[in-house]
Amino acid sequence: MQPLPNVYEPRNSLLTTLRAALSPGGWTIVILALLSTLLVLLRPDTRRPGIDMWVFARPHHEMYVPNVESWNASRDPDLNLYLLSLPALERRMSSGFLSDAHIGFDQVSHGRVASRAFTGPLEDVGFLDLTDRIKESGILEEINAPSFTPWTSRGRIFGLPHDVHPVMLAYRADLVEAAGIDVSSIETWDDFIAVMKPLMADGDGDGLPDRYLLNVWETQIDTIEAFILQAGGCYFDDLERVAIDGEVNARVIATIATWVTGPNRIAVDAQEFTASGNRLKLEGFVVASIMPDWLGGVWKHDMADLSGKIKLMPLPAWEEGGCRTTVWGGTMLGIARSTREPEAAWELAKHLYLSEDLAQQLYESNGIISPITRLWTREFYDEPDPFFQGQAPGRMYIDLAPSVPHRTSSPFNQIAKERVRDALSRLREFAEEKQLFTIEELLPEARRQLESAHEDIQHRVDRNFFLKASS
Amino acid sequence: MNTLVGRSRWTPLLFLAPFIFTFLMFTAYPLVQSVHLSMHQTYGPKTSTFVGAGNFIHLFQDELFWKALGNTFLFALGSVLLQLPLSLGLALLLDRPGLKGRVLFRLIYFSPSLAGIVFVALLFGPIFEKNTGLLNVLLHNWIGFDLEFPWMERHVMTGLIVAGVWMYVGFNMVYFLAALQNVDRSIEEAAIVDGAGPWQRFRHVTIPAIRPVAGFVVLLSIIGSFQLFELPFVLLNNTAGPDNRGLTIVMYLYQTGFEIGDLGYASAIGWSLAILLMILAVALRRVLKRYED
Repeated sequence: MQPLPNVYEPRNSLLTTLRAALSPGGWTIVILALLSTLLVLLRPDTRRPGIDMWVFARPHHEMYVPNVESWNASRDPDLNLYLLSLPALERRMSSGFLSDAHIGFDQVSHGRVASRAFTGPLEDVGFLDLTDRIKESGILEEINAPSFTPWTSRGRIFGLPHDVHPVMLAYRADLVEAAGIDVSSIETWDDFIAVMKPLMADGDGDGLPDRYLLNVWETQIDTIEAFILQAGGCYFDDLERVAIDGEVNARVIATIATWVTGPNRIAVDAQEFTASGNRLKLEGFVVASIMPDWLGGVWKHDMADLSGKIKLMPLPAWEEGGCRTTVWGGTMLGIARSTREPEAAWELAKHLYLSEDLAQQLYESNGIISPITRLWTREFYDEPDPFFQGQAPGRMYIDLAPSVPHRTSSPFNQIAKERVRDALSRLREFAEEKQLFTIEELLPEARRQLESAHEDIQHRVDRNFFLKASS
Repeated sequence: MNTLVGRSRWTPLLFLAPFIFTFLMFTAYPLVQSVHLSMHQTYGPKTSTFVGAGNFIHLFQDELFWKALGNTFLFALGSVLLQLPLSLGLALLLDRPGLKGRVLFRLIYFSPSLAGIVFVALLFGPIFEKNTGLLNVLLHNWIGFDLEFPWMERHVMTGLIVAGVWMYVGFNMVYFLAALQNVDRSIEEAAIVDGAGPWQRFRHVTIPAIRPVAGFVVLLSIIGSFQLFELPFVLLNNTAGPDNRGLTIVMYLYQTGFEIGDLGYASAIGWSLAILLMILAVALRRVLKRYED
């Protein structure tokens, strides 16, 4: 039997039903959600048509703006230039690659980001393979060969190099000259220490040196790598095989360990891009730092008070007749594989990176020398620079550029750098614990630490199915 | 006639639909997908190859995973052993009868936890800096402390624990204070009548009364500690510090998944962390239950 309808139940109007469904607060939230959805949907699309280009350095951005404007006035499609912070660029690029999103092209720094791009199978690298284009257009011969190595994976080139970044030694000429020291006799690091040692005297009688000779520390992974490359060592060989446990590497980290601790300590940690590091440099607490060409521009901007107090000299070698330079940093222009306009992007890349005007601007505003060898004869590289007491840093860097060591593009390079830093850190602890402070005494432990780092990286490389499959 | 009854039967489902949809989409599916991923080696979400239990086997041989686990345990231990007694101590101080300005003190102690963890990390960076850092300069001026003392190089976990204590002591204090204010005063008065001293009252009246809250706070602290990421990540400039002294499990998961692109191995790390936390939570519940019994 069906129940009888309740004739007394009032009939629900729509308003009553809605009121009963949610409280006034609940309805407010629903209405706000609907309104904001509507607003978002109605907002005009701010994306501009054309190719997007991401750069991470403000000076580069400023330099490119007029060129991009003139390009856009005469050519199609338009180029949209965006200045992003490096971490933002790295994350956007990685997520763009992984999701296959349509992005234009990026200016990419050597280090973490490029390595990430080369972790997977060759056919899934997020950058367009430029090898054939570079060879056919003759750019391969035009650009200083070592500049390609960080952007080459398994024999394929994925970026157009932006720079060379040779390294020299920047020293406080005012302090050195006041002490009557002649740097012309310095050829090796041993000479450097012997000649500069008087600057470490304890003038104020507090029992500590008034200053230290060199800015290097166990935590400065880029500096450690630069020293290892200068000495002829490497973390990966030309075939991208792990080479961390090499004898040269062991000798370099054993030497650095003696520089950062013990009675023969000569080094201090005055990191770049930090207020505390800059203060130590400004106060003359550190005499010399290794300086790639790009760093000169940073110092001029961040430590203008050092103008006229700094001079450059080739790096002291690790042995007589050894290499007087190394390499630190690097940038490339990579075209995203997913770009809809690869040919236009390639034309634009050549326009920006091969331009003589831009090469001049790059040097004058940032101190960076071009990787295009035919431009090295240009006069603007001979201009004296008052920051460096009238030296012509451009010419000095160019003289060293052909000797810049080759680098690896192994996706494990960043981890390798960290493992070598850890090895050095443990070596320093070992030295302090055992009170061993000479290179020969530390060498066995340096080898042991590097072997352990080598094994760890080798294990990671062996695990990577994609590299094995495509090598 | 029956339509209203029919509508009302579907109404709850309709209202639950947004939750069910978002739960399935953003919780259930990613969970299932992460189990699938943990058995693959990946390069981003598109490229993968099946490795079975390979990721988990590698995890047990991975020196860095154990390092991260050790660091995380150390931080959790520091959090529980330092933060919680301090929080309880502060709560006891603020719970004293007749204390003036209790609300103000509560606000002051609680306020660090209102600051974002990234802000705290940025704040402690210059404090722990060597040569020019606030802490070293202060200690140098007072007791001739070594200006070059490398807090963020050789004593990373100490720095992280100190920053964590500063941030969370007030937060946990609020829980303890609420628990203390709910302790039955008549039992305490009875204990006083029976001749119990302050320590005996604390041990035999206060502690048993606040035990459930204390257990909850311990569990919360342990889970929070095992999720530690932003503090070392910002304080150490996106790295794990020298010799990976600041590497935590979540940081390792992030590096593996989002910097190297191996989401499979990162999923294996994530599941290991989840299982570990489950084991810890069950163990803690058992310990507390034994006390209650």
